[in-house]
Amino acid sequence: MAKETLTEVITVAQGDEQQPSKPRSVLPWMAENGIFIFTALLILGAAVFVDGFASLVNITDVFHRAAPIGIVAVGMTFVVISGNYLDLSVVAQVATSAVIFLAVSNVYGVPIAMLAALLAAIAYALVNGIAVGYFKANAVIVTLSTTYIGIGVLRYFSGGSIFFGPEDGPIRAFGTAKLGPVPYSALVLILVTLILAFVLSRTNFGFLVRSFGVNESATRLGGVNTGYVIVGAFFVTALAAMVAGWVLAAFSNTAVSSMSTGYDFQALAAIIVGGTSVFGGKGSVLRTLLGVVFVSVLTNILVLSNITFGYQQVALGILIVVAVTIDALSRKVGTR
Amino acid sequence: MSQTQSLKLGSSDTSFLGRARLVVARRTEGRGVALLAIILVVVSLTQPLVFTAYPVSLGRIALIGLVALGLTAVILMGELDLSVASTLAVSGVVMALIPDVWLGILAALAMGLVIGVINAFFVAVVGINSFIATLGMLFALRGLAYILSDETPVRLTDTDAGIAFGQALIGPLTPRVLIFVLAFLALQIFVSRVKAGREFFAVGGNRQAAYDAGIPVKRRIFTGFMISGFVASLAGVINTLERTAADPRAGLTVLLASFAAAIIGGNYLKGGRGSIVGTLIGATALGVLQVALTLSGIQVPVQEIFIGLILLLAVTTDPASLRAVLGSIRSVRQGRSKSRA
Amino acid sequence: MTPSSHTLGDVVLEADSITKRFGGATAVDDVSLSVRRGEIHAVVGENGAGKSTLMRVMAGVIPQDAGEVRVAGRVLEKGAKSSIDAGIALVHQELSLVPEMTVAENIMLGYAPTRLGFTNSKALNAIAQKALDEIGVSVDLNERISRLSVALRQFVEIARAVAREPQVLILDEPTATLTPAETDYLLEMLQRLAAAGMAIIYISHRIPEVFKIGNTVTILRDGTQVFNSALADTTPESVVDQMVGRELKADLQSRRTAKPGEIVLDARGIRAPGVNGIDLTVREGEIVGLGGLVGAGRTELVRAIIGADNRTAGHVTITRKGKSATITTYQSAIRNGVAYVPEERRTDGLALTMNVADNITLTNRAELSRGAVQLRGKIVKFAQNLAEVVGLRPPIITREAGQYSGGNQQKIVIAKWLGRRPDFIVLDEPTRGVDVGAKAEIHRLVRDLADKGTAVLVVSSDLPELLELSDVIHVVRDGLIMGTLPAGEANEKNVMSLAAGEKMVDA
Repeated sequence: MAKETLTEVITVAQGDEQQPSKPRSVLPWMAENGIFIFTALLILGAAVFVDGFASLVNITDVFHRAAPIGIVAVGMTFVVISGNYLDLSVVAQVATSAVIFLAVSNVYGVPIAMLAALLAAIAYALVNGIAVGYFKANAVIVTLSTTYIGIGVLRYFSGGSIFFGPEDGPIRAFGTAKLGPVPYSALVLILVTLILAFVLSRTNFGFLVRSFGVNESATRLGGVNTGYVIVGAFFVTALAAMVAGWVLAAFSNTAVSSMSTGYDFQALAAIIVGGTSVFGGKGSVLRTLLGVVFVSVLTNILVLSNITFGYQQVALGILIVVAVTIDALSRKVGTR
Repeated sequence: MSQTQSLKLGSSDTSFLGRARLVVARRTEGRGVALLAIILVVVSLTQPLVFTAYPVSLGRIALIGLVALGLTAVILMGELDLSVASTLAVSGVVMALIPDVWLGILAALAMGLVIGVINAFFVAVVGINSFIATLGMLFALRGLAYILSDETPVRLTDTDAGIAFGQALIGPLTPRVLIFVLAFLALQIFVSRVKAGREFFAVGGNRQAAYDAGIPVKRRIFTGFMISGFVASLAGVINTLERTAADPRAGLTVLLASFAAAIIGGNYLKGGRGSIVGTLIGATALGVLQVALTLSGIQVPVQEIFIGLILLLAVTTDPASLRAVLGSIRSVRQGRSKSRA
Repeated sequence: MTPSSHTLGDVVLEADSITKRFGGATAVDDVSLSVRRGEIHAVVGENGAGKSTLMRVMAGVIPQDAGEVRVAGRVLEKGAKSSIDAGIALVHQELSLVPEMTVAENIMLGYAPTRLGFTNSKALNAIAQKALDEIGVSVDLNERISRLSVALRQFVEIARAVAREPQVLILDEPTATLTPAETDYLLEMLQRLAAAGMAIIYISHRIPEVFKIGNTVTILRDGTQVFNSALADTTPESVVDQMVGRELKADLQSRRTAKPGEIVLDARGIRAPGVNGIDLTVREGEIVGLGGLVGAGRTELVRAIIGADNRTAGHVTITRKGKSATITTYQSAIRNGVAYVPEERRTDGLALTMNVADNITLTNRAELSRGAVQLRGKIVKFAQNLAEVVGLRPPIITREAGQYSGGNQQKIVIAKWLGRRPDFIVLDEPTRGVDVGAKAEIHRLVRDLADKGTAVLVVSSDLPELLELSDVIHVVRDGLIMGTLPAGEANEKNVMSLAAGEKMVDA
């Protein structure tokens, strides 16, 4: 089912063959399909040229680190596709979820902890969703403000302290479990991706998110309650961030308010690099997964090459700008 | 030929009160004034120290206001500059790394201008949405700041200059405050009396009309981002001088407060509407709030909750948003009250 | 008012064999046109005939694909600035004013006089005032555009064009939003300007106005020039004929004979911006046409009825199978069997980058899914069937909507609503920008809908279309219904005269 959807995406994106043949400019083609090639090349190159990349330990580590970011990215794809640029508050949401998860589970057990985290996710989804969907406020500014509010609340209640899970607890067990070289967290990523891919491409809700991103006015005039759709998109993101927080907490068995720094940026990079347009309407969850692979492998290469955090940030920043530039230019060419 | 008639409009109420009402109705700073009033009242009751310790308050207002001024230039054109926080940080770092103070300042300011040019390039020439472009720059520049500073704060070589900078110059006004006042005046004149500045409203209010009228829109966008970058780097210089060290992580709280100041001051994100005076009012409100909270011993995270709420409120209560929400509420209520025929 | 009789000067603006294409569609095809000093040259044509595009080429705003534009013999360079320098001023249909800048600043937008970079307020106000005086309008120079009425904005727009003392003034449907008094005012103003030597090109589909002040008329149809003559040598009837391209006969055979049934739509006391108190009913199987000129308030009316825009007053009921429901929000309308084919299909009617099947799915989600999940197979069958019913050419439902021609795109919009079997459908300018063949097919679809019992409300600026389709026509002007004409009595003359608020000039 996954493969069918991906092929479909490519077919629709490439347009109809019966169109009188226009000269196929390189740029739109590269924007659509470049990522597959680049990712493959990147992995091959890394395996050959970068010391330590191809080891089991490293691959497992890449999976571990990719998982929470990837889960956030596939969730946030919904917001991006709806044309609302991004959700900056995922940083706050992931950390909140992780802290609640560990802190509450230490006292009340895992199920109650999950419920508590769910409540927080719903709160974020409602505030973000209503402000953007009903008040029609700018998503970047709204989620900027909820980030600060969220981190503020988190730091206030957690006092900035680090929470630890018990060494022999179920969370730790989940965090260290693996299926071959693939940690459970990566399996969660794959599961979430498949579910969200299905939602985006096969359900009415996902359809409406896409439709809204392509043409808000036409969608509204189709009789759709667009406010619901936007709240829904932010809700998907919030749920994904919540799960990512659990996975992150499990992996490190610790939770602290600063542990999710940079998630918004890395998730956005993954989404854009994967080929989803930041202008809304075009894109898919599976492409985001591909983008996650690319970004994670790239980050891993940089780390293995002893390139410091600063350079990593610069690299990601350049990557985003390049990817968006290609997207913008290929739109100008018009065949997209 | 039939007689020519004159078509007239404008309020026929030329009395003073009538004209005054007209002037008030045209202004956009309403929410900023309301917020400032509320904050001043609450603060004077709970934390009057803010007024007695006015150098601190003025200083805070100046810092928030400076960055907000630059943001306003960009927002008036309908764009956003999220990179200001990182511009502030990286400029400060660049300045601190250079032993000679004046050369360092020059380099930092030049850096701000260059960053502005790069931002404008992506927005005006490549055509990337300014939110995304400046967001990318926000992260890239922060990375640059980390690289240059080796991830730790960089001490200023000439600490005397830094200390001197913190001394009051004219009366109680420190250089920081004076620079802010100068920047405010300069920008206010630019936006109200200089042709290029007036055209910012056109670029934001009806960009197609601006193009059609022959206004060099791209050039204006470059100007706007350069102003924003310059002002942010100026803030970075001030920050570094006063702390005698440059922290690559600086700027994040100021980013939030500056946006809140500019938007609650009446500058609409879609562009074409707003004022520098409004930004001043907003910056005053937020500066006073922040100092009051600090003096009351409220921790930074909680302060950020307050400021975040104000920003959220600011961006959901502009007339366009309120119209959108009230429209849907009204329709729903209409549906509930009408009985079935 | 009669056309000026002063002698005309030299040719000042000339378009020579201009062709302009947008993507695959040819908007202007080998059109030549010239205008002399002192001449008022009317350019007439239906919607989509290419008038605006031609004007934008002649004003140098957009480049042509073939042909040359010459000003006083010299070839015009492209770009807004060079055309303004060459003395050509274009007053658009969409007002291009900056809402938050003052009247004076808008009049001199981009050309404010400066002293060392600072705006020279005195000079600015002087020039702006002079322009306003020249056209005879009095407005507070410091007022913001956002606070002016639409009519005044139009005049400020014209003042802007006049302020730079152009040689050629091009106006695109300037009277669309004006009352008759304001229109007279404008026409007088243009005559004065022409008498003083300005060359004026005047785009309009209001034939009485054209005959009032014009010297020459050029008629465009489907992008080509079909007619050019001095107005003294022709009649309104032949102009209309040329616009439409066929002899106007009341085609009684195509008129349906079905009798309308019970009232489906009952709208009372509708008020909204641009709508000043209208009652309207549409019956089962009836096609009600709304005639009127651009700006009369028809689109505002239908949108207020279905809730797409907020009403300030009024009550709307939909009755089907004996059960009535009140319509308040747009969503309640859709839920109660209302369908809306909007005026702007590209921005409001279709998701251009999604395929036909997706566009059709938008309004038929309930039928095409089980719970939350869409049923692919059902969607394909459903969409394919509808695509064939509406005559989509070619009926490939996986093709992007944006890749179809205007006529086909309109069919897609209609198809998606057909799927719901609506009880009441509103079509706003259903064949604007649609080729002749698709137009006929869309008319057939509308009639079929009515035959099957749907109550149909059509807004159209295309008089022949309105006359051909409607069982009854309400003519709207200034937000009110000026008159109601049943099919047997309606003809172009009386509809036009009600629409324009005056008797038409007999040639």
